[in-house]
Amino acid sequence: MGRGLKGLLLIAIPVFLVGWLIIYPIFAAILSTLFFDGPEGLRFSTASYQFFISDPYSRANLALTLWTTGMCAVLLLIVGLPIALYLRFSTNRFADLVQSLAIFPMFVPSIILSYALIRTIGPNGTVDILLNAVGLPKIKSPYLTPWGPVIGLVWDHLPLTVLMLTAGLGSISNSAIEAARDVGAGPLRVFWHIILPRMGNSILVTVSFTILGIFSAFTLPYVLGPASPEMMGPFMLRTFNALYDPLNAKTQAVISFAFCLFFGIFYVWSIARNQKGQSR
Amino acid sequence: MIAGFSTTSGRFDWTGFIFAILLAIVIAVPLLVVFTWAFTEVWRYPSVIPQKFGLRFWDQTLSRADVWEALSISLRLSATVTFLSALICLPAAYAFARMKFPGRDLFFLSFLASHAFPKFGLLVAIASIFLQLNLIATFWGVVLIQLVGTLMLMIWIPVAAFQAVDRRMEEAARDVGAGPLRVFWSITLPQAFPTIFAAVLLTFVSTFYETEGAWLIGAPQIRTMPVLMINFINNQVVIQYGAVLSVILWVPSFIALMFARRVIGTGAFAKGFGA
Repeated sequence: MGRGLKGLLLIAIPVFLVGWLIIYPIFAAILSTLFFDGPEGLRFSTASYQFFISDPYSRANLALTLWTTGMCAVLLLIVGLPIALYLRFSTNRFADLVQSLAIFPMFVPSIILSYALIRTIGPNGTVDILLNAVGLPKIKSPYLTPWGPVIGLVWDHLPLTVLMLTAGLGSISNSAIEAARDVGAGPLRVFWHIILPRMGNSILVTVSFTILGIFSAFTLPYVLGPASPEMMGPFMLRTFNALYDPLNAKTQAVISFAFCLFFGIFYVWSIARNQKGQSR
Repeated sequence: MIAGFSTTSGRFDWTGFIFAILLAIVIAVPLLVVFTWAFTEVWRYPSVIPQKFGLRFWDQTLSRADVWEALSISLRLSATVTFLSALICLPAAYAFARMKFPGRDLFFLSFLASHAFPKFGLLVAIASIFLQLNLIATFWGVVLIQLVGTLMLMIWIPVAAFQAVDRRMEEAARDVGAGPLRVFWSITLPQAFPTIFAAVLLTFVSTFYETEGAWLIGAPQIRTMPVLMINFINNQVVIQYGAVLSVILWVPSFIALMFARRVIGTGAFAKGFGA
């Protein structure tokens, strides 16, 4: 038996699963929402998409999802980039501590986080208790508003954002930064002219990964978010499970794919490029 | 020389101090609140400290039949998925790391597909296939959908582990007459084992907490622990039930994951997500 054949046999089952349970369902979802069995054979129809576009509730859900995803991506960069920059240029004990803390949410499942946030920022939660104790008025609780999922999702995605940005910063050489400092550039100018142009790509990869993860997030929006409008994740689950309407659920899924297509392609493309770079 | 709390230029590291304090507050407070609630019997607003501590709700939570049933289903699901995933993925990872065959790079990248689409959309697409196959609300339907979610982690991290094994040691063993199986068993596996073990552990824990697929495919017959917790939260049964379950479920997995922490620091983990 040739070595090539042996290798192909060893990878056969996982590759088959990818084909059967990822690639095939995606094409099946696209085709089965566009082509229907009619009395005179296969019929093309965009009715389910037209329904989605004309239905104000569906449109509101899509708008909320886009807003939440964009808001989370921006907030994650605002929070994650300074932490990553700090970790790249510091080597003392605080850096170890900051890294451990920033990675910690990775070990907290979203369901436990959801519960914890309800008790912390929910009505009469810990934040209210502490504000009351020092004589300040209660906050307007973000629980069951669009801000609830934003807070939860940022908390949940912070570790991977920081890890991926730190990995991107690692490829910037110290000598380039020192050279700029030697000619008198301040920290801001070093960041703007030396660091940012060199990590543009890793910022885009991080943002793509974040957007792919948040666009159809389920647990946090379901528990912390408003009941109406709802994000695409809970919306799809309700359409599929409670309304027994697989056609419209699939339509919502395909629309989600379409909105994330660019980020998915960019994510795969940039990793494929990195892989090639490593194997050479 | 750099082990203290100062920057290289010798000043106290205020930036690090502020980052550490802010992160500690934002990350630790919600978790501390859950711990406090788990050991609380009475805590009425606006008292800063609970009026009465106690273990009453531990007895109540642990005497509920639905809790034990969900725990049993969750453990059986996670064990099955992890075992199957290791069984099919580890040989594949070895093949990707060590063998040459046509289409190798393309097949390797194909596992990225699970991360390149919004996850819940993908789950809905899979679920409508399962609808035709009568796999909805069955144990094996949930196993399959969770298995797909583990593929990338279980292949990419072990591939990095196998590639990191020192080839010269394998060749030296072969030079003194060891067969391929013997080389694999005594040289390759011991070196790759810690990383592979971490991947297996991560797979088990992430499967245990997987919520979306289990609910979409399993409902209403298959109710896992996270799905039960969502029910507790939604129906506002007793606040403490959720807290007690969180502590019971989270502490063991947290200790397990701390062992895997070493691997996460090395970058092999970031590679599992394509960073």
